[in-house]
Amino acid sequence: MEHIQTVFSFSSLLTIIIGTIAGVAVGGMPGLTATMAVGLLVPFTYTMDPTLGLMLLGGIYCGAMYGGSIPAILLNTPGTPAAVATAIEGYPMAKSGRGALALKVSVIASFVGGTFSVLILLLFAPVLAQQALKFGPAETFLLAIMGLAGIISIADENSSLIKAIIAGLIGMIIAVIGTDDMSGSLRYTMGVIELIDGVDFMPALIGLFSMIQMLELAGQKTHKIDTSVLNQTSKKEKLPKGISKYIALGSGTGTVIGVLPGEGATIAAFISYNFSKRISKVKELFGKGNPEGIAAAESGNNGCVGGSLVPTITLGIPGNSVAAALMGAFIIHGMIPGPELFNEYADRTYPFIISMFVANGVFLIVGLTLAPYLARVALVPPAIMVPVVATFAVLGSYALNNAVFDVYVMIVFALGGLIIKRIGFSLEALILGLILGPIAEGGFSQGMIIGHGSPWIFFESTIAKIMWVIIFILLVPPLYSYLKTFVFNKEKNA
Amino acid sequence: MVISKKTVDRAVLIGLILLAVLLFSSTSEYKGIAQKTSAKYVQFLAVSLGLLSAIQLTYSLWKDRSQTRFVLSGNPLRFAILIVAMILFAMAFEAVGFFIPAAIFIPCIAVALGYTRAIPIILTTIAILAFVYLVFVQLLAVNLPGISF
Repeated sequence: MEHIQTVFSFSSLLTIIIGTIAGVAVGGMPGLTATMAVGLLVPFTYTMDPTLGLMLLGGIYCGAMYGGSIPAILLNTPGTPAAVATAIEGYPMAKSGRGALALKVSVIASFVGGTFSVLILLLFAPVLAQQALKFGPAETFLLAIMGLAGIISIADENSSLIKAIIAGLIGMIIAVIGTDDMSGSLRYTMGVIELIDGVDFMPALIGLFSMIQMLELAGQKTHKIDTSVLNQTSKKEKLPKGISKYIALGSGTGTVIGVLPGEGATIAAFISYNFSKRISKVKELFGKGNPEGIAAAESGNNGCVGGSLVPTITLGIPGNSVAAALMGAFIIHGMIPGPELFNEYADRTYPFIISMFVANGVFLIVGLTLAPYLARVALVPPAIMVPVVATFAVLGSYALNNAVFDVYVMIVFALGGLIIKRIGFSLEALILGLILGPIAEGGFSQGMIIGHGSPWIFFESTIAKIMWVIIFILLVPPLYSYLKTFVFNKEKNA
Repeated sequence: MVISKKTVDRAVLIGLILLAVLLFSSTSEYKGIAQKTSAKYVQFLAVSLGLLSAIQLTYSLWKDRSQTRFVLSGNPLRFAILIVAMILFAMAFEAVGFFIPAAIFIPCIAVALGYTRAIPIILTTIAILAFVYLVFVQLLAVNLPGISF
């Protein structure tokens, strides 16, 4: 009760509101990440009251995770990599005048996912942390494979399965460039110093999603604005029936993946999205604007927020990069992660956790209030939209590493991506390979070394066996259905 | 000269097969236990890429009779202007910073794309620059190159 009173004091509420709104803004801008915002603000919290400082950072974390979905839906520009799956479904909805509904689904799913994960953090943190330690490199590799299984789902009746897999492989090969984490040797850097750390996925993401969109807009013969969008978005469209099932699925998946050290919101969003596609009754709508996909992906990535703090707070092992930055904040305030946080520093730790419930509520209100207005971004003339988004694309690519090289990377990805898009390769599969490739390689290499070169390690543990079953369930039915359609079409054409 | 979609497709697939061969052969230079494990991973990627590209190429040569034209953009001039302007923007970024190139880039592209209303262009440019200055420079302390304020 005392902790709840701390959270609901005026200064705490103000801090949470400022942090969450700032987080939504940061997450909404491609190139600015929650890690960057939290990392930059950690030193500033040093002079603040520790509890308020942590609440501010917690608010930013929650807000940023949601904020990434706004430009993903409206501009096909994911604010964060975790919002890529949201863009796949959200942007087609926005284009067809259902942007407000997409934003509504996104904010509600984010709220439920975030709240559920924080509840789990509050109730079960120490128990879950012990279980997460059983998750080794072999299981990490399998988790990446589960995420990559999404490539099969990306292929549909309009795109070739082989081309989707090739695109995924191209992404994974690009991810190989740079320093080999296992041996420290350089691979395929061609003497370019900027490639030592590899190809950052954020400029690639900006190039493949937002810049391609702008190049296509710039290349259109005529620039007409569909004003019917305005009328349609002003109508209050109700949430689709049965959406709660997908939100629950994403919340659970996101929280579980968040608890695993080193795993992130991106993989959680893709796996949740993939699960939702498997159980959906309207599979054919995926990729064309299905709110079920948004619900699963958004609840999945926000589910990671609370989940990632479980190993961070209880074991001092950050769940992801934002949690690592948050851990820095705990440490500079003299709070060493571990069981003491729940005993000696309970007066700071519990208000911090409870404050994240409030942060989720704040972005829910902000999102629901602003959704109809934000959807009107579709009415901005393309001739204004293109230079503005291109400017932010340049800035966002640069800002992550303060490197002009990344701006060129973004342009190369935009041009190359447009060419392969035109001939039927899936850009979503490419980005999936680029993001999950390093996780897969790290897990594979470490697993092989631990297993003395034997691949048996990937089948040994009970968790690994369960994961293989899930991978089988994710891969086989869509492959079978794809082959069936392929054979059926062949017979029909013959 | 009109290039068909299938020609570009086949050229890309041949390029990918070559890439796969080069990638596979490069792993022979991997030494030591840690690198050898990485080599297995890279070899897997190379074999998969080469094999799938070859299957797709065979399928295209065998089945694809379409003559669809390859169109990168419906308006090549505007498309080219945007690409060149982006490259110039990036080149100017390091030398003169963000704000001056952006102040030129935004109105020029808007005009190039056929928008002629001066006031919205000027207001948008000012709003974007002010936003970047306040959020990126002042609030988030992003170190933008070039002239500082």
